[in-house]
Amino acid sequence: MNETGLHELSEKLIGTEIKAELLRLFHMNPGILDTVESIARRIGRMPKDVENEISTLVDLGVLRKERFGKLDVVSLNTSKDREVQEKLAALIERGVKE
Amino acid sequence: MRALTGISELDAMLHGGLMRGDVTLVVGSAGTGKTTLALQYLVNGATKFNENGLYITFEQMPAQIYRDAASFGWDIRKLETEGKIRVVCTSPPVLVQFVEQRNPIDAMIEEINAKRIVIDSISHLEAFIPASELRGELYRLINHLKMKELTSVFTAESHEVFGDRLVVTGVGLSFLVDCIILLRIVEVQSSLRKALTVLKIRGSDHDKQLREFEITSEGIRVEAPFKDLEGLLTGTPRRTGEERFAEAFAKVARKGK
Repeated sequence: MNETGLHELSEKLIGTEIKAELLRLFHMNPGILDTVESIARRIGRMPKDVENEISTLVDLGVLRKERFGKLDVVSLNTSKDREVQEKLAALIERGVKE
Repeated sequence: MRALTGISELDAMLHGGLMRGDVTLVVGSAGTGKTTLALQYLVNGATKFNENGLYITFEQMPAQIYRDAASFGWDIRKLETEGKIRVVCTSPPVLVQFVEQRNPIDAMIEEINAKRIVIDSISHLEAFIPASELRGELYRLINHLKMKELTSVFTAESHEVFGDRLVVTGVGLSFLVDCIILLRIVEVQSSLRKALTVLKIRGSDHDKQLREFEITSEGIRVEAPFKDLEGLLTGTPRRTGEERFAEAFAKVARKGK
């Protein structure tokens, strides 16, 4: 279960190169509050390639997507992100012990 | 009622700091120190005057701002953790939505009880907002900040490094703001030096001299006014008439000996 849990969570979090780039971007720049299009520009990717990856991270709760006037704006959900990081760390630790 | 920048010589030039609730435009070409001045204003506000602040950046990423600020000894991440400063990295179309009700930027202002805000740089709005709407949107944004009783600093890029033309934006932003601080690179005796002047403050007198400034390891330090030179803002100054006369007189005196 531990190994599966760890695998699933890490797959969801950093299963693709773009997801890893997005997480790196938001961890290094936690104050980002921007549209999908601008976020794609910030990591040097096309919006169509980034949209689904952002949705996965929103579903996980790591990122937050809110309607802001006429725009959908994405930001880091710091508390949930910390929670996911702690969960991942715990899974790794348990995996190492076993 | 004034908001001190914490740069003592600049506060003296402003006759006691920025007018509270006003919008100040810091204009300069690339590399003149606009971002440094704006960050120093926020950091000093948070650390010396108990006034928290929000820093809104467009192109420059927060990670770069943290790094650059650290070179002046300013730990922005620590100030963020302490709830004294928030760095927001966004894009102009999002900023324009800032005036909408219940938006996250207003929420951050309330969360840290911000009294100061920096928008770096307002020039980016030109690339995203149609020219016909830009002045109206800027006017709305400025009034929104004033209603929040924030003392605001906008940076703006001037494209001319040298020369006697100064164009901030094509929409008359300089008429909308209350105060303008101009940063300029000038050539003096074949070396590039930095000059600062206060162009206007609505409703207050101010120092009108052009002063040299330096970016030191602790941030901006404003020095004495340039002496014996005129035409500095053109980028190619010449000696004043008095100075030329004094030199000619000294030459004659030397010949006579």
